[in-house]
Amino acid sequence: MSTVKKYDAIVIGGGHNGLTAAAYLGRAGKKVLVLERRYILGGAAVTEEIFPGFKFTVCSYVVSLMKPNVMRELMLPKFGLELLPLESTLTPLDNDYLLRTADADQTYREIARHSRKDAETYMRFGPAMGQIGMAVRPILETIAPNAIRPSLSDLGALKKLMNHFQSLSSEQFEYLTKLMTMSSADFLDEWFEFEPLKATMSASGIIGTFMGPKSPGSAYVMLHHYMGDIDGAFRAWGFQRGGTGAVSMAIARSAEHFGADIITEAPVEKVIVKNGRAVGVALENGDEYSSDMVISGLDPKQTFLNMVDESDLPSDFVTDIKNFRIRGSSGKVNLALDALPNFTCLPGDGHHLRGAISISPSYDHLERAYDDAKYGNFSQEPFMDMILPSVLDPEMAPPGKHVMSCFVQYAPYDIKGGWDDTKREAFGDAVINTIARYAPNIKDIILHRQVLTPADMEKTFGLTEGNIFHGELTLQQLFSMRPAVKWADYSTPIKNYFQCGSGTHPGGGITGSPGEMAAKKILGIWS
Amino acid sequence: MSRFDIIVVGGGLNSLVTASMLGKAGKKVLVLEARDQIGGLASTSEFAPGFKCNDINDVVKWIDPRVMKQLNLESYGLELHSPDLVRIALDTQGQHIVFHRDPNETADSIANHSEKDAKAWKAFTEYIDNLTYFLEKLYELTPPKLPNIGLKEAFSMRAMLSPIRRHGTRGLVDFMRVAPMMMPELMDEWFENELLRAGVSTAGIHHLSFGPFAAATGLNLLHQHVHSKGVFHNVHFIKGGTSELPNAVKLAAESVNVEIRTNSKVSAIHVENGVCSGVTLESGETFQADQVVSGLDPQNTFIKLVGPPKLNPTFATQLRNINYRGSTARIHFALNALPEIKGVTEDQMGTIFSASPSIEYLERTSDSVKYGRLSENPFVEFSIPSILNPTFAPNGKHVLSATIQYAPYHLRGMNWSEELKNKLKNNVVNVLGNYIPEISSLIESSLVLSPVDLERQFGLTEGNLNHGEMTLDQFLFMRPTISTAQYKSPIENLYLCGPGTHPGGGLHGANGFNAAREILK
Amino acid sequence: MSFKNPFTAETQLKLSPFFERTSKLNESQEWKRWSGYLAATQYELTHDNEYFAIRTKAALLDITPLYKYIIEGPDAQRFLDRLVTRNIQICKVGQVMYTPWCDEHGKQIDDGTVQRLSENKFRITSAEPNLEWIETNSAGMDLSVSDDSKTTASLALQGPNSRAILNAVASDLLDSLKFFWMMDTQFGDIPVSISRTGYTGDLGYEIWMNPKDALAVWDLLLEKGKPYGITPTGLQALDIARIEAGLILLDVDYISTRHAIIESRKSSPYELGLGWAVKLKKKDFIGKKALKAEVDRGSEWAFVGIEIEWDSFEKLHREAGLAPGLPCTAWRKSTPLYKGNEQVGYATSGTWSPILKRYIALAHVKTEYAKENTELDFELKVEHFRKLTPARIVKTPFFDPERKRSCPQ
Repeated sequence: MSTVKKYDAIVIGGGHNGLTAAAYLGRAGKKVLVLERRYILGGAAVTEEIFPGFKFTVCSYVVSLMKPNVMRELMLPKFGLELLPLESTLTPLDNDYLLRTADADQTYREIARHSRKDAETYMRFGPAMGQIGMAVRPILETIAPNAIRPSLSDLGALKKLMNHFQSLSSEQFEYLTKLMTMSSADFLDEWFEFEPLKATMSASGIIGTFMGPKSPGSAYVMLHHYMGDIDGAFRAWGFQRGGTGAVSMAIARSAEHFGADIITEAPVEKVIVKNGRAVGVALENGDEYSSDMVISGLDPKQTFLNMVDESDLPSDFVTDIKNFRIRGSSGKVNLALDALPNFTCLPGDGHHLRGAISISPSYDHLERAYDDAKYGNFSQEPFMDMILPSVLDPEMAPPGKHVMSCFVQYAPYDIKGGWDDTKREAFGDAVINTIARYAPNIKDIILHRQVLTPADMEKTFGLTEGNIFHGELTLQQLFSMRPAVKWADYSTPIKNYFQCGSGTHPGGGITGSPGEMAAKKILGIWS
Repeated sequence: MSRFDIIVVGGGLNSLVTASMLGKAGKKVLVLEARDQIGGLASTSEFAPGFKCNDINDVVKWIDPRVMKQLNLESYGLELHSPDLVRIALDTQGQHIVFHRDPNETADSIANHSEKDAKAWKAFTEYIDNLTYFLEKLYELTPPKLPNIGLKEAFSMRAMLSPIRRHGTRGLVDFMRVAPMMMPELMDEWFENELLRAGVSTAGIHHLSFGPFAAATGLNLLHQHVHSKGVFHNVHFIKGGTSELPNAVKLAAESVNVEIRTNSKVSAIHVENGVCSGVTLESGETFQADQVVSGLDPQNTFIKLVGPPKLNPTFATQLRNINYRGSTARIHFALNALPEIKGVTEDQMGTIFSASPSIEYLERTSDSVKYGRLSENPFVEFSIPSILNPTFAPNGKHVLSATIQYAPYHLRGMNWSEELKNKLKNNVVNVLGNYIPEISSLIESSLVLSPVDLERQFGLTEGNLNHGEMTLDQFLFMRPTISTAQYKSPIENLYLCGPGTHPGGGLHGANGFNAAREILK
Repeated sequence: MSFKNPFTAETQLKLSPFFERTSKLNESQEWKRWSGYLAATQYELTHDNEYFAIRTKAALLDITPLYKYIIEGPDAQRFLDRLVTRNIQICKVGQVMYTPWCDEHGKQIDDGTVQRLSENKFRITSAEPNLEWIETNSAGMDLSVSDDSKTTASLALQGPNSRAILNAVASDLLDSLKFFWMMDTQFGDIPVSISRTGYTGDLGYEIWMNPKDALAVWDLLLEKGKPYGITPTGLQALDIARIEAGLILLDVDYISTRHAIIESRKSSPYELGLGWAVKLKKKDFIGKKALKAEVDRGSEWAFVGIEIEWDSFEKLHREAGLAPGLPCTAWRKSTPLYKGNEQVGYATSGTWSPILKRYIALAHVKTEYAKENTELDFELKVEHFRKLTPARIVKTPFFDPERKRSCPQ
């Protein structure tokens, strides 16, 4: 069957970046088609009612990195973007706890219970990191130049960045260099002394990454997570009302508002390439759509090794893509609960349940969890970042009931012997047992549980190895090297074939940034 | 009280290089060494009656060619022995991988394990060689003062253009890609055989407290191969023992009237209102000088000898944040005979041996650092220096010197007692036993140098042989701190010239050479 | 006449050991946060009586939220001399010195008092926590640092009758205790230290005690002070008094370099009118090099007192059909100052002085406009519209009674 309508651009994948790109192109008056494999939009940012009445933010669960200009320009609040603040971070400890809240005095007092010095330092640390975030932002907002043969505009962009860096203070530059190269543990050791505080903060450096807090390079991932801001406040985390799927839906509605067509349950088989030029896509069901431009929101391996033939690509590029590291390291456990979990350290209901709950009592806890994964097992006592969406948004669960979202590390994709049902359940049990150590009632209140291994995520969401960032955020896979040198500006060796997923600069998280910048790059070419 | 133009604190290799270069420029220089012999980490000593060892380094990986040439070291008796066989990665079954100077011969040895890897070997050595060319140029430069780099500084970096001309921007990109890599990533791109993957990865973890899974072990691997002319695992032995290297430099120094005093431990560097004016010895003797250069590590130089109250708060914080964390130990064994290594012929014995069966083995042993315990199955690298230097042992007897990772300086719930050192030795003997079955019966006596011993005897903070970890965050303009990367410290007239500065550790003299250039500016 | 309202509430904020009393006395239940503590804004429904207590009777303030550190050991004096800008070597036992301290770039971090408790023991007070700064900069010195913030409670008794009250309570007479000196004494059998210091620019004392004695001390003072008009006083009244005294407040009149974020927000002691407290002749201290360089090239900014001229101020209001709108409390909103069309400075806090009957403010101005009697224009809003009105640079303290420093004999 052939197609009736010709599109200016087709976006493969209805994840949030694909939708963002579509919305931006639509906004510029282009006719865009988005093709999503699943029945639901959002990619890794979906909300699904897995058990009746209980809505799970199945995969990603918090929003912090969404770019403010994307929210404004795509009018996302109009289409349903409602971010509720996650006010605090609770780290349960065996006989105590660490609590950080939105209030400076309270946070000071809580940290000072453990270390007065850290409480003081913490007040300096936030603004210092905020400054570094500001310092990095221009890089994130620059289309990564071609490092092999820079164009004139690439050189202009580089010059601008150079000038920007020269304007930094020596201190800022020092911190920035350290953040780019150190382990998050080493970086935090320079500031703080109370280990549960350091371990919890360092956990930002391992999320979505196959590294431990003591692995050099993890500090950058921590910085990546610090760059999020909501309403201008750095390091502000939010929960989308209705779950992160509602963010995707808001972007989808915005794209539709700007004239995009969106088709779900439309898995793309191949990009049609003629004479080195992408001219359309063929679906698995045989349908074909033609367009001037094809944009892939999939990860680099899918985009280049699945969607097109290797023979259409230069061999060194294929090598680069094959060498691009995408490592699955995290799992997700979603729980439907009969009641609220009761933490031994802070019993009962309270403000602390409105924020994140981090199972990160020590570096050792995180490192042991990492060691398990390094050698091919899931963590026996994993690191977890948990939230209770139903406390923030009662509509996520039936009245009086709750849902709990647990992001779990580590669950390596390459587990010894491969993932199967037994291992999945054993992994789920390890998670519950770890939670039970701090909230013993958890086992009695679970009504349903959903366990997602990296293999499940690959299967369900099409994420290679189940990696939520479409590729490791290591130094050699950033900026002009993401996903491959020469092709980090969203273009590819195939003419009219572009990429816009988290595997491109500036990387993963619900940012909308790769989608936005890819669209801007394409519009620049068209104009 | 005596007056000199310049006082050099410490008599290690870099200190001597700096002193010689300054002497050559007509300065009146005094070198003060705390120990009874010069040479620091390049010293040789008797560890048991009749048995000598190279205390720390049996080999040098590379020597800065500028130092060789400018100081004319060969004319002062320096003789390098560069073996054809540079390393043997030991296999418990005797199927060793033998690394030769000639990549084709190495490939032949690899072919016993993997045809595919054997084919890739030559391309790999060329790839690494091309990348090290960037470091060679970089190592000759004084790091720029960032972020406020002016036109002048940018111009001084122009030497970096030549490798780009030679290898194109792709070469630079590859360099930027490989430097931050971890060993398994690099190995995944090239090789499949585990013995080879681990055998190559040992270069990435050499003298580091991290395992092969640490980012930027790529940089450390490249650092080991600067000026190696394409020879992977390149090494040079020094005839007469490693101490002959500093001895040659000493002669060069004395030829330009540098005064060198041993047994002269500096107890304080004088600083008043941010200006350095001289030093005091432990004996109470004081010396005035226009400039003081320290070859010691930053901790010893600034915290111990200058004193925290004389440092500005930012600098003090930067110094406190330098990571040392020595994790390497040395054990010297006096053997009553030449050991027999399964699958190694006698003519192959004069090389470096490495017990590194797999990357996972190396990584597991490195985990001991983060938990502050001893490796049960350590990574052991050893050589038998008495083969090249028969004077090292009585007739028919031999010395086996082993470098052990990981033996962390920071232990939890225990300290470096004699008992623990004994345990370490036993662990090492067990590992050696896999390859030298009769090793236990050969040992006459031994000497264990834990990181704490290294700290005490060689003045190395936390026993770190590189005067600060060789990691990406302590590289180039960050080494040793962002404020001191140009060899000049924030204290007026006080300079650094040791391995704590760019380009880092190793017996190459590049630090001292660059430092002298800055001092003479 | 009294309305008894049962009032119970819980709080996450810290409570001083005096809270049991102060909370019951606080008729307005207006509180401010001070270093994470609940601190009374005012006790009565308006603060006027409390202000006049400071100037005409005796005001009692809970100043426990101040941060306090004890520095003790053979190197304590050497360390403090490295830390602060004043010369601590000449500070005698029993003497107190007010001093700023700086980062190495000569920009002010905080200010407070240093009390020499004995040859090798000092207490330093500060507006913000300084433990980290003190500890990191005392590395390599033979001393111990302990946080005294919670182990010592403190009250300020300020006003012309304060000495009489203390004489009635304490076992020793305070008649010979000089300005910026301190003494140990007892209230009955309760040991206390009394320093002749304060933040009002009036005759006044600060009383340092063990927190367990806090309530007993409070009760004694209120009882014996009653005939002298002792008045529990909140921060509102204090703010007016400290502006009259020309005393700066951290985060209001200047921003600590610790959280200034940008360079232009930082100030040196010279730029805060504290040049007198910088002793460049003393040995190396933190910031000396930069401060010396600043003296050599001249400071860019100065800190001055200004008086908003009454006639023009009144006229602007009258033109709008209004009587002059005087601020009833001290304000802290940065207010531009102009010379011609150019903004040459900004006032950081100001107040109508009830005792002087003048409208005064503290301000940062570019050095060339800082000379006494320079006429500037002060921005104000009259009925929503911006106006300029003349203001004159005047000497501080605006109010400086002889009793502040004098002793009876």
